[in-house]
Amino acid sequence: MSDVLLQIGKNAQARKVVHALGLPIPLPVPLRRARGPWRERPLADLCMVVGAPPGAELLPEIAETLASAGANAYGTGSDAIAAAFAAPGEAYGRPARALAALGDNERVAGVVFDATGLRDVAGLRALYETFHPLVPRLAKSGRVLVIGRPSEKGAAASAAQAALEGFVRSVAKEIGRGGATANLVRVEKGAEARLGPVLRFLLSSRSAFVTAQPFVVDARTKALGDKPPFVRPLEKKVAVVTGAARGIGAATARRLAEEGAHVVCLDRPGDDGPTSQLARSIHGTALLVDLGADDAPARIADVVRALGGLDVVVHNAGITRDKTIGRMSEKQWDEVLAVNLGAVVRTHEALEPLLREGGRVVCLSSIAGIAGNVGQSAYAASKAGILGLVAGLAPVLAERGITVNAVAPGFIETRLTAAIPVAVREAGRRLAALGQGGLPEDVAEVITFLASPGAAGITGRTVRVCGGALIGA
Amino acid sequence: MGLTGKTGRRAVVVDGLRTPFVKAFTDFTKLDTIALGVAAARGLLAKANLGRRDVESIVWGGVILPGTAPNVGREIALDLELDPACEAMTVTRACASGLQAVTLAAAAIERGEADIVIAGGSDSTSNAEIKLPQKVVHALAPVALGKADPKAILGAMGKLAPFTDILPTRPKIAERTTGEVMGEAAEKMARRNEISRASQDAFAARSHHRAAAAMASGRFDEEVTPVETSEGKWVHADGLVRADTSEEKLAKLRPVFAKDGTVTAGNASPLTDGAAAVLLMSEEKARALGYRPRAAFSSWAYVGVDPADQLLMGPALAIPKVLDRAGRSLAEIDLVDLHEAFAAQVLCVLKMLGSAAFARERLGKAAAVGEVDPARLNVHGGSIALGHPFGATGARMVTTMANELIRLDKQTALLGICAAGGLGAAALLERID
Repeated sequence: MSDVLLQIGKNAQARKVVHALGLPIPLPVPLRRARGPWRERPLADLCMVVGAPPGAELLPEIAETLASAGANAYGTGSDAIAAAFAAPGEAYGRPARALAALGDNERVAGVVFDATGLRDVAGLRALYETFHPLVPRLAKSGRVLVIGRPSEKGAAASAAQAALEGFVRSVAKEIGRGGATANLVRVEKGAEARLGPVLRFLLSSRSAFVTAQPFVVDARTKALGDKPPFVRPLEKKVAVVTGAARGIGAATARRLAEEGAHVVCLDRPGDDGPTSQLARSIHGTALLVDLGADDAPARIADVVRALGGLDVVVHNAGITRDKTIGRMSEKQWDEVLAVNLGAVVRTHEALEPLLREGGRVVCLSSIAGIAGNVGQSAYAASKAGILGLVAGLAPVLAERGITVNAVAPGFIETRLTAAIPVAVREAGRRLAALGQGGLPEDVAEVITFLASPGAAGITGRTVRVCGGALIGA
Repeated sequence: MGLTGKTGRRAVVVDGLRTPFVKAFTDFTKLDTIALGVAAARGLLAKANLGRRDVESIVWGGVILPGTAPNVGREIALDLELDPACEAMTVTRACASGLQAVTLAAAAIERGEADIVIAGGSDSTSNAEIKLPQKVVHALAPVALGKADPKAILGAMGKLAPFTDILPTRPKIAERTTGEVMGEAAEKMARRNEISRASQDAFAARSHHRAAAAMASGRFDEEVTPVETSEGKWVHADGLVRADTSEEKLAKLRPVFAKDGTVTAGNASPLTDGAAAVLLMSEEKARALGYRPRAAFSSWAYVGVDPADQLLMGPALAIPKVLDRAGRSLAEIDLVDLHEAFAAQVLCVLKMLGSAAFARERLGKAAAVGEVDPARLNVHGGSIALGHPFGATGARMVTTMANELIRLDKQTALLGICAAGGLGAAALLERID
């Protein structure tokens, strides 16, 4: 299961040899990943360039986030940038400097481009002018973040904003070989205050395997006042993770616990060993339930009630029974739909009344659910169903401050993907923009972010964790 | 909190005295931190005309504590042959240790634990112990503490091999968590808060000129006691103050912590040997014994910040706390005394206090804490000119400010100290009539 090319890629000498011989072997760059709980200043001392064509509306939020996260900001000329950074720069000792002050050979850890002012086609030229000189200077595992608006009145403005997505997706593919990512964040009017934590997450190394996609930040969910915490966001919260015995579920349970949550680790009775071991190691609660059983939702609800309430639910348990539709048995079809979709709906219905205000629901979907896959008609149906489920639940739960989102992993190095035939596995890895598979921890980071109070601006959406997979994007 | 504790008792500063502060590895090299503390406390007892049996407690502060006798306060009591019943403790809060000792003593008095307490601190950088690496300590433990038979010795040699990393390490003032030397932290803060080299040098020159003027005028005579060295030489005055320094001279010094840096030996506090002691009493007792109480603490505060961010910014957070607790604004304060670890650090703290953005983001306040008029800041210089025996500085500042309130007929003096580990301290002294 280990990625040989990634191992070779880690060795500087080997990289040189491959390059010197001109071998047509893609050597993916090991991604920069943070370990342990969130830090107060995830961007400490990183050099971040800010670009903002005239009319940019979100510079105050960008400046506040960069300064408080510890980044050293460099502005591309505009006075508006200097003005926006004046106060937060002074408060955190991070004054914005002119890009010219940065040495020509210095690498840039990230570029944040506020494109909210782009209202016509001519304005798009600013994208070229900013990124043409900067992208070649982007550091390994660097970040490109473009900020736009979801809908604009008028055809020209609408076209200009839509253009951003094509740009970001392409840049993501170009910079992926260096482990760098590019994403677009569209901020609804009125949701400006909810942008900060999203910026923090996407600019940090926590979003290592998230690239080439648009995010939408809106103000649909009820605002709950308090500024979201930078560290230990899940302190005193109760979380349930299904399918917690191994893989993405186990990594998620660990991360949620690291951020302070009490985690109920749920898996099948047959997985007693790993589930109980995990629960012990993170001081959580083990819960052995077969999600297909009729009394499963009631049993989970009982445990949650005993813990005093519920804040985070991660519907992660899932199975595959891959067969082309012509060859698939009735039983296989039923099993996949029952566990991957039916159980999620039933469990959610039982837990929904127990969710506290500001709760978070995250459902695991899959790239297959977005793009479809040979032999996965049942699986893809169930995972696409999840997308509809979160989209349907989000507006209903918004008034309680609860968000509901789906996470769609691409090729993740787990027991499931290790079983794939070698040629298909290699294709899965190399065809992603980042040229490698993700780790269960990469998905866990995204889930942890969506479970945090700071993710209040994202609901009813699907976040891909696929490293910019060729398919499904 | 007001001027009295919960018990209705009020602790007052009755007197204070210190040794001269001298450069490390000069006159006081053979006097360890205990000997320096004894010198200051002995002088204080004599000056206040206090009997050996009157002192009930010693609270002492220190940073470089002697490994064999870390409770420096108790050693001072024993060496002074105070009543054996005079109990003692030693506290460490890095450079705020001296102030910590004084405020602990005030708290104890206000709780009714004692009526007469000597508090202060001392440090002898000249006597810093050279540490053996833990590898050597662990390997040699069976030989040193057990039976040193050939087998044990061979075993120890085996554990030491290969013989790398067994040299004693040079002591340095570095953060344990970040490895950052304090001067590097000051350098970083200067850069991040845009404090120029020229402004640092100007501040340092002013510190020297003010300290020199105070010495020349005899202002320090009432708070400095002469000390006899082991060679029989009497040291009467502070040894680090340079009356003849200037911004131009300081501008010629090379930056120490970064190639294109701004922090030099001239605009930083030097390594210093010295001690300072403060006599605190309950107000009732002081008046009963006929002493004149000089000042009392209306509030104090200790804070912590992430050492990896801006290590020495603590006073910018502690000062507003102290003002809030006392219900005062910075504009009302007559005198401000900030410990000068580095000119850069003081200037950063002043900038933060004067910044509305800082107040809004970091303190949740609508308006800036306030500007500090240079005329009322560090009126007799500070640690850059006088030197900085880590544990003694807080007690020195308390004494100087308590005396200054009376001398100038002023009401309030605000103290601020930054300390290793990202700590900050502040206290508000008010005159008593």
